[in-house]
Amino acid sequence: MNVAVCVKQIPDPAGELALDPSTHTLVREGKLILDDSDSYGVEMALQLVESAGGGEVTLVSMAPNNETSGLRTALAMGAAKAVLISDEALAGSDALGTAKVLAAAVSRIQPDLVLAATESTDGYTGTTPVQLAELLGWPAVTFAKKVEVSTESVTVRRQTEAGYDEVVSPLPAVVTVTAGVVEPRYPSFKGIMAARSKPVEELTVADLGLEASAVGAAGARQQVISVQAAEERKAGEIVTDEGDAHQKIVAYLEQIKVL
Amino acid sequence: MDFRLSPEQEMLKEAAAKLAAGFGHAYFQQKTAEGGKQEELWAALGEAGFLGVHLPEAYSGGGMGISELAIVCEEVAAAGCPLLLMLVSPAICATLIARFGTDEQKSRWLPPMATGRTKMAFAITEPDAGSNSHRISTAARRDGEEWRLSGTKYYISGVDEADAVLVVARTGTDEATGRARLSLFIVDTGAPGFEATHIPVEIAAPEKQFTLFFDEVVLGSDRLLGAEGDGLHQVFAGLNPERLMGAAIGCGIGRFALERAASYARQRSVWGTPIGTHQGLAHPLAESKVEVELARLMLAKAAWCYDHDLDAAEAANMAKFAAAEAGLSALDRAMQVHGGNGLASEYGLADLWGTARLLRTAPVSREMILNFVAQHSLHLPKSY
Ligand SMILES: Cc1cc2nc3c(=O)[nH]c(=O)nc-3n(C[C@H](O)[C@H](O)[C@H](O)COP(=O)(O)OP(=O)(O)OC[C@H]3O[C@@H](n4cnc5c(N)ncnc54)[C@H](O)[C@@H]3O)c2cc1C
Ligand SMILES: Cc1cc2nc3c(=O)[nH]c(=O)nc-3n(C[C@H](O)[C@H](O)[C@H](O)COP(=O)(O)OP(=O)(O)OC[C@H]3O[C@@H](n4cnc5c(N)ncnc54)[C@H](O)[C@@H]3O)c2cc1C
Repeated sequence: MNVAVCVKQIPDPAGELALDPSTHTLVREGKLILDDSDSYGVEMALQLVESAGGGEVTLVSMAPNNETSGLRTALAMGAAKAVLISDEALAGSDALGTAKVLAAAVSRIQPDLVLAATESTDGYTGTTPVQLAELLGWPAVTFAKKVEVSTESVTVRRQTEAGYDEVVSPLPAVVTVTAGVVEPRYPSFKGIMAARSKPVEELTVADLGLEASAVGAAGARQQVISVQAAEERKAGEIVTDEGDAHQKIVAYLEQIKVL
Repeated sequence: MDFRLSPEQEMLKEAAAKLAAGFGHAYFQQKTAEGGKQEELWAALGEAGFLGVHLPEAYSGGGMGISELAIVCEEVAAAGCPLLLMLVSPAICATLIARFGTDEQKSRWLPPMATGRTKMAFAITEPDAGSNSHRISTAARRDGEEWRLSGTKYYISGVDEADAVLVVARTGTDEATGRARLSLFIVDTGAPGFEATHIPVEIAAPEKQFTLFFDEVVLGSDRLLGAEGDGLHQVFAGLNPERLMGAAIGCGIGRFALERAASYARQRSVWGTPIGTHQGLAHPLAESKVEVELARLMLAKAAWCYDHDLDAAEAANMAKFAAAEAGLSALDRAMQVHGGNGLASEYGLADLWGTARLLRTAPVSREMILNFVAQHSLHLPKSY
């Protein structure tokens, strides 16, 4: 059982984030870290491989400046190796461009299963994994809250508004997992030390056999025209309880027609 | 010169911080209130290999150094869970066993200490021998193949959660100087003739302190650690790591306090602007930030010296001094920024005061550090 996990390396959300004033995209200088959303996919993959009793977890990431910090964290958790696609031609990629790159990388690895998060923490379009599946010609199962694999198929509990659907899909497939699907392990000290010597294959657009014009800003079909600050939330109404608070709340709920 | 952490240290710092954040200061407070121990945190750190980062790989350790152990200790304290037993079990006891133990002693003690399953307390202080170790009166005498240990120790931390205690005892007297010849012994906490009584202290922490009585405790020859009579010299090898963990806790408490203070000062508003706007509050916090960062730098230098087999005593003493003062002062200022809330249990600051204040006195007092610096760094006459 070989699992590839798409992991996005993002600027630390706890730090100060900035948008480039001309391109309106996130400034990705400085150190990038493993997107927390993807730590669930990594953990899930490790558990699937462990319970299958063989195989390995390979990470796939597209990131600027040959960034490997986030990959090292996931390698320290236990992934066996990583493929990093980094190329100046990728600047300005949209989700489809990213999916093309990831698809080309996944094709080289030929895993039985690809895991990704339902959405990233910084871009959160939630569209990359399904585009990846389409480009690979594989089924996509999204919003997994439980994943089990057999030799031929993957069984997924797919989160819905009412509960969950049980979906069985043939392999290979792309599955996106929700946060909380599993409890990601902390990298152990042994894992951290071992991560040093695990292979990270660094590839360019040309290495993947892609045309530079099909990816990055050149190939992007999406363009950010402008970015506006979200409207500030209005202060809520405070109901002070003078014995009639419940009536006021009921009246309010009736007024906004939820009762 | 390179002031960056290595990629592995960076990841260790991140992983330790994340692990500790899963517990946090509320956990520390809850354990203190219940009279419990920080068992789950200790076990998680041990399982991740973080309590044995500095121990040899052959004994389940990480093969790195005191710099790495200090990173773990500081991150855990910065998450609001200062672990006093890190000074003792991994920093002093395991270090001494790794350095002076026989192969048999190392195999017996180090793997479970590295994984946190076994804890060892450390006993040097006595009612009449605190700052002056030459006056130690707890004595071990030979009895055939065995030793018999008798005497009293006090202020010994964590004995109730420890499996054994590393005891510094007199095994003879130097004829020339009249000073004690000291040796180290590993004593099981359940040994016949071993008794521990709790010393109540005003420190709100899960770790407790004890007076120990040894009444003819029988010790096999495998319980002598290192060379007989060379105990003081050997203990010095463990004291620098202990001081550095003390410094790491001081820095961690300082960071914890400053983070809470800054976040409160950004949000709390009394006159229409956040109170952090008032320089009367902002400057003391900024000053504390400077002090904590300077202490961290000296801690890193001292640990680096220790790990490179350079004389670390001066830097370790200075780091311990600076961190204790910086941590205590940062905590005091953080409490001030919180107004009345600074004293409320809910805000989780005032309860750390005892631990922060302790670092001025133990594991080595500020006066003894200043004595050291005056004598060794400034070549002033010895005063005692
Ligand atoms: C205008 C614009 C400019 C951009 N410029 C750059 C750039 O200069 N350099 C650059 O590297 N990227 C760039 N990107 C790509 C962008 O950062 C995302 O990778 C891509 O748009 C996916 O969008 P998302 O974050 O919404 O992913 P989502 O679809 O929300 O992600 C879902 C999951 O897909 C996987 N995934 C998504 N992106 C990646 C990735 N990059 N690597 C591995 N797995 C991934 C993860 O598992 C992720 O959790 C740009 C995007 C846009 C729209
Ligand atoms: C909570 C707690 C936990 C502890 N845990 C341990 C432990 O696990 N194991 C252990 O062995 N010990 C432990 N100790 C003991 C601690 O290390 C000692 O309390 C400390 O070293 C000071 O020794 P003392 O109490 O005997 O003070 P004393 O030596 O009696 O000193 C009293 C005061 O005089 C000052 N003084 C002494 N000599 C001089 C001098 N020459 N010049 C100037 N000033 C001087 C001291 O600095 C101090 O302020 C612990 C103490 C506490 C409070």
